[in-house]
Amino acid sequence: MKRKWNQRALNVLTWAIVVLTLSPVAFMVYASLSDYNDVVTGNMLKASFTPHWSNYREMWVNVDFLAFLRNSLIICGLTTLLSTLLASLAAYALARFRFRGNHAFSVAVSTTQVIPGMLFFLPLYMLYIQIDDAGLPMMNTFHGMIFLYTAMFTPASIWIMRGFFVSIPRDLEDAAVIDGCSRLGAFVRIVLPISAPGIIATASFVFLLAWDEVFFAWVLTSSPDVQTVPVGLRLYMGQHATRYDLMMAAAVVSVIPVLITFFASQRWFIKGLAAGAVKG
Amino acid sequence: MSALCEQGPGLAASIASGARTQRRRRKFDAFPYLLLAPAALMMLVVNLVPIVQGFRMSLLKLNQYTLSQFMDAPYIGLRNYRGVLFDTDNPVHAGMLGALRNTALYSLLVTVCSVAIGLGVALLLNRDFPGKAAARTLLMLPWVVPTYVVGTLWGFMWQRDEGIINHVLVDVLHLMDHKPFWLIGSNTFFAIVIPTVWRAWPVLMLIFLAALQAVPEELYEAARLDGANAWQRFRNITLPTLKPVIVIQVMFQIIDNVYSYNIVAMMFGKGAGYPGEWGDLLMPLLTRQSFSYWRFGEGAAVSFVMMAVMLVFVAVWMRTFRRSMTSEA
Repeated sequence: MKRKWNQRALNVLTWAIVVLTLSPVAFMVYASLSDYNDVVTGNMLKASFTPHWSNYREMWVNVDFLAFLRNSLIICGLTTLLSTLLASLAAYALARFRFRGNHAFSVAVSTTQVIPGMLFFLPLYMLYIQIDDAGLPMMNTFHGMIFLYTAMFTPASIWIMRGFFVSIPRDLEDAAVIDGCSRLGAFVRIVLPISAPGIIATASFVFLLAWDEVFFAWVLTSSPDVQTVPVGLRLYMGQHATRYDLMMAAAVVSVIPVLITFFASQRWFIKGLAAGAVKG
Repeated sequence: MSALCEQGPGLAASIASGARTQRRRRKFDAFPYLLLAPAALMMLVVNLVPIVQGFRMSLLKLNQYTLSQFMDAPYIGLRNYRGVLFDTDNPVHAGMLGALRNTALYSLLVTVCSVAIGLGVALLLNRDFPGKAAARTLLMLPWVVPTYVVGTLWGFMWQRDEGIINHVLVDVLHLMDHKPFWLIGSNTFFAIVIPTVWRAWPVLMLIFLAALQAVPEELYEAARLDGANAWQRFRNITLPTLKPVIVIQVMFQIIDNVYSYNIVAMMFGKGAGYPGEWGDLLMPLLTRQSFSYWRFGEGAAVSFVMMAVMLVFVAVWMRTFRRSMTSEA
């Protein structure tokens, strides 16, 4: 009997934690639907609350947020594709073949995770300017950002994919090769399909990371044709007043793509996390 | 298996494991290198070359006058390192000690709190109760929120007059009789720690929960029969099983938090505002200072020192816990 009550108390505690944890997110949604006058006075929690859906109309007008959203989707989407592709190839090599440089490359891959972004920022900035001068625009372009992000997130993706490939038994490939399939064929036809969960987990991981990148987005882009969501979000802070209501609406909108990504890939993603491959 | 699969059995032999070792000695195998090449090329251009250049930059006198010469700027040896670490007149040095202290406290506090809360909630969720799957999914929500949204959202919530936190603390719960400033003075430190922990612990919870589910229930049953209480079961069964996971996650957390940038950068002020003596971390400070004084040689020097420190930390950590990490995996 005592045990049962203990369990009930723990259930209540668990749900209390859930409510407390979600309250900032709930507040973000609440604030995005609040009247601006209530937001600036700080007297927002009202019994007579009526949602101001107009905030979700006005936010696109006050700042051209659609452009930032489009840019983020293009840059992060293509980065995800490229990064996952490059990482799958490289990770397969690292997981399956013993060759000179395998270990060195693996060490290099993990070392990149410890480099402060600032360190390679300026050389890269200078490199981009030099390529610009040579006639190929890199600064403030989609391909400049995609190239950078792909290179930035490929090492972590290699690491995750490698874990998946290692866990796949090699008998299937061996059998395919004996049946006359090339090694590339075995990789494309046999290994990639069974690694789909790993690929999905890696891709959604890259998308989440790319969506969250602020530093390089800030300094390598200068016009709303290319700038991404975090840059746009700040524009709701005016010289004199901050439109917190609209900013929260834009914040909610900017969470939606990653939310969809996460929930769509949750099943595989969580498995990847559990395997310890993805770092939090 | 058509087009891609029509190579002869010669290639087939090379992957069949028995023949492989023999074959490799005789003939150079280009296949893995081809697979690796695109990623390696990318990393070469965006990681390796800039790092080597970054190291050279840290030895150059690079300021607003010499920036246009870039790599031809005057060579000054280790003067950037000395200036930035010890010279009190150096603008990049200004605020360094405070930011260093904050970064150390911040990474430790965030890591300890996130791991502790993550573990605690994982234990709570590792029971059978109604709505377990829903609770687990809902708890992941903060982690899905991008860090720049976390900074923006909490920056709003911490506002003294418009902020919801003061409103709840003072007007609703009457826990305080006046509204404190959260983004000015020493409170700033908690204003950056709390949102970081809020976002970090759910994913740790998920990782710990997965590890907990791998512990065989019979172990607990046997311990119960032997009269072990809850604490003893946790201490002697749960903790040892989770140790490899905890060791790895603590390391990742410390790396992440030492390089933390987004939350502070988004929370304070319009543009790259000064987060104050207790809100500044190394990465935001470094970025702000290098850009406002155009002193990139010094910026590169500090980055290099940070990287060296982190590499040493990782090496020592791995060495210390090598046993417990490999035993499980």
